[in-house]
Amino acid sequence: MKSLITIRQGSAANWALRLAVTAIVVLVVLWVPRQGGGLITTTIEALTLMSAAMALNLVLGYAGQISIGHSAFLGVGAYTTGIMVSRWGLSPWVTFPVAFVIAFVVGVIVSFPASRIKGVYLALVTLALGLVFPYLLTWKKLAWLTGGGAGLPNADSEVATTGFDIGLAKKGKMQFFEVFGWDPFGDLRKPEAKAAFWYWIALVVAVVVYVVCRGIVKSRVGRSLVAIRDNETAAAVMGVDLVRTKALVFGVSAGLCALPGCVIAIKTGGVSPEGILSLTVRGAITFLIVMVIGGAGSLWGPVLGALLYTFVTDKTGEWADDAAIPGVLRPIFSWAQIPPADGMFAILLIVLMFVAPHGIAGTWRQYSHRVVRIVPRPAGAVGSAPTAAPSGPH
Amino acid sequence: MLKRTRALTALMAAGALFVAACGGDDSSSTDESAAVETTTATEETTAETTGESVVETTTAETTPMATEWAVDTSLCVDPAAADAPIEGTLKIGSAMPLTGGAAAAAFAPVKDGFEAYIQYANEKGLLGDVTLEVAIEDDQYNAELTPGAVNKLIDDGVSIFGGIIGSPNNAAVRDTLNDNCIPQLAALTGSPAWGDVENYPWTTGQLAPYTVESKVYAQKIAELYPDGANVALFHVNNEFGQVYVDAFNEIAADYGITIVAEETIEATDQNPPTAQINNIAGAKPDVIMAVPLGAQCISFLTEVANAKAANAGWEPATFLTNTCASALILTLAGEAADGLYTTGNLVDVNDPASLEIPSVKEYVDYMASLDKSAIVTTAGAGWNTAETIVAILAQAQASEAGLTRASIINAARNFTYTPMLAAPGVTFKMSGAEDPFLAESLVVRQYDVASATFTDIGELITEWES
Repeated sequence: MKSLITIRQGSAANWALRLAVTAIVVLVVLWVPRQGGGLITTTIEALTLMSAAMALNLVLGYAGQISIGHSAFLGVGAYTTGIMVSRWGLSPWVTFPVAFVIAFVVGVIVSFPASRIKGVYLALVTLALGLVFPYLLTWKKLAWLTGGGAGLPNADSEVATTGFDIGLAKKGKMQFFEVFGWDPFGDLRKPEAKAAFWYWIALVVAVVVYVVCRGIVKSRVGRSLVAIRDNETAAAVMGVDLVRTKALVFGVSAGLCALPGCVIAIKTGGVSPEGILSLTVRGAITFLIVMVIGGAGSLWGPVLGALLYTFVTDKTGEWADDAAIPGVLRPIFSWAQIPPADGMFAILLIVLMFVAPHGIAGTWRQYSHRVVRIVPRPAGAVGSAPTAAPSGPH
Repeated sequence: MLKRTRALTALMAAGALFVAACGGDDSSSTDESAAVETTTATEETTAETTGESVVETTTAETTPMATEWAVDTSLCVDPAAADAPIEGTLKIGSAMPLTGGAAAAAFAPVKDGFEAYIQYANEKGLLGDVTLEVAIEDDQYNAELTPGAVNKLIDDGVSIFGGIIGSPNNAAVRDTLNDNCIPQLAALTGSPAWGDVENYPWTTGQLAPYTVESKVYAQKIAELYPDGANVALFHVNNEFGQVYVDAFNEIAADYGITIVAEETIEATDQNPPTAQINNIAGAKPDVIMAVPLGAQCISFLTEVANAKAANAGWEPATFLTNTCASALILTLAGEAADGLYTTGNLVDVNDPASLEIPSVKEYVDYMASLDKSAIVTTAGAGWNTAETIVAILAQAQASEAGLTRASIINAARNFTYTPMLAAPGVTFKMSGAEDPFLAESLVVRQYDVASATFTDIGELITEWES
C-alpha cells in the first residue's frame, strides 16, 4: 500500500524526523519536573510501572513464557533495599545492584520449571510464586529479616555514598542531593523538589531498564528469545540452548524488575506487603495488563501501556462522583459507584484482542506505514552495510 | 502460537481485572474503620454560634489555649508560610480509601460524615468569616498512592490535612508534611506512632491508641475473671495487630492473665480462619482477644460461633478490637456478634436513649436533613473527626497569632474539648509532649444483637489517660 510520505533511511528527512521525535521526548522529559507535585508523582508511578512491565516483556513478550509472578521480583528489590538500609544502615544507592543480583538468582531458579512446563501450567507456577511471596514476607520465622507482618521500619538513608554528597538534615534525612558538588534540586524537603528528585531517579531506572532490554532484544539472545516464543522445537533444532536462554531471560527480567522495587521502597520509606501493593499478585496482573495493552513483544509497548494506564487511572479516579465526569461521558459512566478504570481496562483488553492483538505499539507499527514509510537503504549503497564478498574460485 | 498465548494471557488478565473490579480488594484493610466509633452520649449541649466570637460558638466547650507547648517553625522549609495568616477560605485536605472494594465500603460513610460536619460548620459560621472547604483524594488504602494524593492537594492550596485513613498511609506522608510544617491532624488510626511529638510535632492522631485499648481489655478481663483468666489471642499479622498483642503481652501477667494460644491471619487473607479458631478452641481459653481486619471481623465471629457450637460447654468471652465494632460489620456478623465486648468513647447513635442528648439529636437530625440517615451510625466517626479539627481551628483563630498553620498545631497540642458525640465523661485532651494523644479513655461495652446496641460494662476507664 502506498504511503503518504516516503522517507529514505539516512536521508536528511529521516534525520530530521529522528531529531524531531527526540526533541519532543526530551522536551516532555524536561517539562514534567517543572509541573506540580501531583503530575510529577503520577509520572513517577508510570515510570516504575513502566520499568516492571518492560522487564516482564522480556520474558512474556519476547520469550513467550507466561509469568504472573513478577510482583515477587519487584518485592525482592523492595525488601533488599529495606533490609539493607533499615537493618544495616547502608546507603540506598548501593542496594540497587545488590537487589538486581539477588533477584537475578531468584529468577534463574524460577526458570527451571519454565524449562519443563509451558503455557497455563507455567502461568500457574509463577502465579503461585506471586501468591506465596507476600506470605513469606510476613512469616514469623523470617521476621528477624523481613520484619514479619509489621514490615520494615522507615528506610530513609542516613549514610552518604561514594561520589555523592548527601547533606544530613534533622533525623539524618536526605536534604540535599549533590552530585560532585552540583545541587540540582535544592532543599529536598520541599514537596516539589522531592517529587522532582524521585522523578529523575525513576526516569534513570526506566532508561536503564529500557537500554538493557533493547540491548538484549537486538542481540543474538533476543533472536533466540523470539525463536523460542514462536517455536521452541524449531529453536532447539537450530541450536538455541533452551534451558540456558530461559534462565538468562528470567534472571535478567527478574533483576530488572527489582530496580523499580528499590525506588518504591526508598520513596515510600517503609516496606510491607500492605504498604506496597505492587508486590502482591495485583501488581503482577497490572504489569501484565500494561504490557498487553501497550504491545507485547515491542520495546515501546510497555512504555505506552504504563503511561496510558497510570494517567487514565489517575484521571478517572474521581469519577465515582458523577459531577466529576465530563459531560459527554457522564451517560456512560454515571452508573458506576466506583471509579471505572479497572472495568475500562478489562473491556479494552478484550476489545484489543479482537481488534488489535499486538497492542498500541504493534498496531502503530502495522498502520503507521500508511502515513510515513521509512525505506531502508538498498544493499550495496554508500553508507549501507557491507555485503559478503562473492564466493567462488578466483 | 503467539496469538493464542496473547489471547490466553489477555483473557486471564481481563478475568482477573473483572474480579478485582467487582470483588474485594486483596489489600483492603479496614483496620482503622473509624466507623467503629459508635457510642453513648455526651452531656454537652450545642452552643449557639454567632459567627462573631468563634470560641464561644463552637458546638461544645473548648479550653483556651495554654502556652506551654509551641512548635518551632525555624526548622520549617518555609517558616514564613507556617506563620502566614489564613484568611477567606481554609482548605482541609485528606486522603481516604474511596475505592478498592471492602475498604471503600467501610470508609465511604466516614467521608460523608466528615463532609457533613464541614458543611454544618460553614452554615453555623463556626469560624466567622473563614469558610471551610474539603478536598478528599482517593488513595485506595494504598500507601504508594497517598504521597501523590497529598502532593496534588498541596498543589491545590490545601492549608492543613486531617482525617487521613490508615497507618501506612499517614506514615507515607508524615515526613513531607512535617518538613513543610503543614498540620497533619486527626490521623484516623490508633497507631502509637502519632504520639512522637519531638520528631513529628505537626502530626496528631484521632483515635485512642491501640496500646491503650489493648490494656483496657486486659483490665476488664481481670475484673470479669478475678481468679485469673486463660486468654487466646487472634490477630492480623501486620503492624496493627502486633501493636495490640505487644501491649497486651506487656501487662498480661500483672492482671493474672495467661496466654494459652496465639493465632494469626494474613492481612490479605479473606478466607474464614477455621483452622486458627479450631486451634484456639483446642486450648479452651476463657477469653479470646481478637484483632482481625475489616471483613475478617465477620468471618472471625462466625467461626467462633461455629467453634462454640462444636465444643459444647465452651463459652469464651470475646473481646474484639473496636475497629470491628461498626454497625456495618456487626450487622453482617448477625447472631455471631451477640455478647461480644469492645470499647468506644463516642455515643452509640443506634441507641434510642442517645437521642435524648441534644447534641446527638442535632447530629442525627442534621444527617437526616442531608438524606444520610442510613449511614448516621457509621458516619459518626467522620463527623467527630471533622468536629475536632474545626474546634482546633477555632481555638487557633482565637489565639494571639490568629489563624496560621503554626497556631493550628499549637492549638491542637494544647487542647481540651468535649465533642458532640462523646460518651459521658469523655474529654479529648492533648497537652504538648506530656499528653500526645487525644483520646485515651475508653468504656468497655457489650453488644446485643437483638437491639443492635451496646451496653456499657462498668465505668469509663481512664487509667491510661496521660
